[in-house]
Amino acid sequence: MTMQGERPVLEVRGLTRRFGGLVAVDHFSFSVREGAIHGLIGPNGAGKTTTFNVISGFYAPSAGRVFFRGLDISGRKTSALAAMGLVRTFQGSTLFQEFSVLDNVRVGRHLGARAGFLSRLLGTDRQSEREADERARETLAFFGLEELADEPVSNLPHGHQRMLGMAVALAAEPKVLLLDEPFTGMNPEETRRMMALVRRIREGGVTVMLVEHDMQAVMNLCDTITVMNFGALLVEGAPEAVRNDPAVIEAYLGSAAADGAGHVA
Amino acid sequence: MDLLWQTAVNATYAASYMALIAVGLVMIFGVMGVINFAHGELYMVGAYCVVFLYAQENFPFLLAVAAGLVFVGIVGIVMERTMFRPLRDNPLGGLIASIGFLLILQTLAVLGFGRRMGHVPPATQDKAEIFGAVLTHQRLFVILAAILLLAALWTFLRRSKFGRALRACAQDAEAASLQGISMNQTARIAMFIGAALAGVAGALTAPLVSPTPYIGHSIIVTAFIIIIVGGVGSLEGAVIAAVLYAFVHTFVTTFFDGVIANIVGLALMFAVLVVRPTGLFGARERA
Amino acid sequence: MPAAGAGGAVRRLAWRLRLVFLFAALAALPYLLSYSQQEIAVLLVINVLLVSSYRLLTLTGEWSLGHVVIMGVGAYASALLAKQLGVPVPLSTLLGGGAAAAVAAILSFPLFRMKGFYFLIGSFAAGEIIRLIWKRFTDPFGGPKGLKRIDPFPDIEAGFLSIDFYEPVNYYFLALVVVSASLFVLYRIERSRIGLTFHAIHWQDRLAESVGVDTFRYRTLAFVIASFFAGIAGGLYAHYVGAVNPTRFSVDQMVYVLVWAVVGGTATFHGPILGVVALTVVNEIVLRALGLDTVRPLIYGAILILSVLYLPNGLESLGTRLRARLQHWRGGPAATGSEPA
Repeated sequence: MTMQGERPVLEVRGLTRRFGGLVAVDHFSFSVREGAIHGLIGPNGAGKTTTFNVISGFYAPSAGRVFFRGLDISGRKTSALAAMGLVRTFQGSTLFQEFSVLDNVRVGRHLGARAGFLSRLLGTDRQSEREADERARETLAFFGLEELADEPVSNLPHGHQRMLGMAVALAAEPKVLLLDEPFTGMNPEETRRMMALVRRIREGGVTVMLVEHDMQAVMNLCDTITVMNFGALLVEGAPEAVRNDPAVIEAYLGSAAADGAGHVA
Repeated sequence: MDLLWQTAVNATYAASYMALIAVGLVMIFGVMGVINFAHGELYMVGAYCVVFLYAQENFPFLLAVAAGLVFVGIVGIVMERTMFRPLRDNPLGGLIASIGFLLILQTLAVLGFGRRMGHVPPATQDKAEIFGAVLTHQRLFVILAAILLLAALWTFLRRSKFGRALRACAQDAEAASLQGISMNQTARIAMFIGAALAGVAGALTAPLVSPTPYIGHSIIVTAFIIIIVGGVGSLEGAVIAAVLYAFVHTFVTTFFDGVIANIVGLALMFAVLVVRPTGLFGARERA
Repeated sequence: MPAAGAGGAVRRLAWRLRLVFLFAALAALPYLLSYSQQEIAVLLVINVLLVSSYRLLTLTGEWSLGHVVIMGVGAYASALLAKQLGVPVPLSTLLGGGAAAAVAAILSFPLFRMKGFYFLIGSFAAGEIIRLIWKRFTDPFGGPKGLKRIDPFPDIEAGFLSIDFYEPVNYYFLALVVVSASLFVLYRIERSRIGLTFHAIHWQDRLAESVGVDTFRYRTLAFVIASFFAGIAGGLYAHYVGAVNPTRFSVDQMVYVLVWAVVGGTATFHGPILGVVALTVVNEIVLRALGLDTVRPLIYGAILILSVLYLPNGLESLGTRLRARLQHWRGGPAATGSEPA
């Protein structure tokens, strides 16, 4: 197990999550270094999505703990985690489809645009709202979406919707950004652009952890990769080491033989 | 002791017709995903079938009950065709539409029979005595009919092709349609059965309750309590919850009063909704 | 927001002018009505607040069946405060709203563990329990007969000015002022970030949650605000009619609120107001004139079903559609030829 000198920003210890009789995650531990781009992969049904959902507060762990910057956050609400700086994205185009592009990102500024009830009512929140607006537009510009600010989301092509999803999360000013299958369903060109964006987000001081199916993107992007199988840790290490690890190849081959999906690049 | 035993017998009677109503409601919800707010009014229509055919036109009681069953079943098919089918992807819309339908049925009953209670003479004055407790034949008949009907339904759902189709649609409508099961056909049958059960409950109990056009309100409240406690998707749960609720309600009514019994019933439902929304006997929450 | 240029200023002016006309019309209205129609107008104004407050709750995507009972909480509380404790009526109405809000705040803990259909049934159960408590406990709620001889709004006697609120016209203006102020607050809330957040919770509560929105808190906030204004409507009602009873706040009454909201369309602020006004006019003028009082529920039921089936966005969308149609006709005949002009 690779363990850098500095303290991990995110740490999962002995995590177990059961659904009825099914054990989806079984005594799983791993940690994410500050400033890293960390990939969590595994064949279908390995438990990576469940792990992701426990870290992001959607499920409570059945056993084990999750630490964020040394603080036990197991079982806390997603909104409380976001307030601490742990923000997740969603698969596909989970957006406020009925809103304009800008309003989506404005909702993302929820935490940054604080004001009391009365000042909302009286309109004295104008200052903080104008700031939120500007920040939202900056975030859109970062993703190259500023021209589309007033478009309804439903008019956006799929690739733009995926980027908007990330813009909404980034507007919440995360310290750690959790990406749920950010490359799935993207064409190579979109994947390339998205990878560049993820790198730029990291350069902005945000730690990135992602769950992904697309092995090519994961290998080229991540500093560290954790591979899960059957709800537990299989291998962890740098992309080259993981790529050539016989256990990983076997796990993916087994899975590929079973369902024809997932391939090691 | 005598009072306890008598109350238990009374509760058994209450459980029998409540089970018919609740099973009908669960049936409709299971296949169509819609909560039928007009279910109490279907009971009411069944009761008025007996008021009309038996009390006013002097047809035999059993014939009037059978007519109530079929007629309300057909009303159910009409509801399916005109409201629930077009609103299949919109459960809230289906619910609101059923509230509209409730108002229509209520008004029709007022127009046809007036606002006052319909008086239905009992079909028989005989009484049975069971270990000291009195049970009128009229009530005994309701109990036996309910057991018979529920047993028939259970057999039908287990054995017949339609029964399998119904269960398949209730579990997963999409998968069912892939297997070549016609959703429309299945929904029609489910709606007929679900409505007919409410109607026959109303018809059977008409001589015992003196129906009014507004009786549906207390019926639907009772039915909601039962299906929530039993778990909205579970027919067996509905039967068990009907028995449970009937006993709680009858005993509290006997030893305290009716309003307190209603409060207890609603509080029971509320507690189940908070603690275990899938019901006491429903399927466990899935991931 | 894009910079408001000259176009924005013109639009704002047009909007204000429209508002001025609206209020002028509302001020003239009672003088065109008979005494009994004036009484109906008072109730209509109160119902506008009831249905608009209901809409605020629906913004978060939850539909309650207890809203009329919550109005009743305001009515009972205000009536009891005035009757038993001698609290002056304007203040008691405000406190009635507070009581309704407090009941909602307490109820939100169990209720917002539920969603969708379960919330609907849960709110129904909670409402029925409250109504049964009114029915069961004669002291202080008066039992099934409810409360009678509730103190009216005090007359205003200031020099040459003397207003007797027993007169429907005067109460109409009082209600109009209170309701307009309430609607203004509701409108401000919706147009603020709070409203944006309510909408966000409705459409994607998990996404909202992921960027830090405490959905429970915001659902509760919507419920409490909506209940406060429903309570105010209840107070206005109680001190006008002078009597309240459990049946007045039964689920039958709730059905009317649903009909107004659905028929008007909850997508816009003015939709439900349009709904309650249109249906009240139909109800009081058309049905009463035709002597069709008994069939009123039937017609309401049919309207409800038809609007769910054919007008999923309410009357308001009918206006939009008609306008589109009209435009189509105007520009259309040359192109399509077959369209009737």
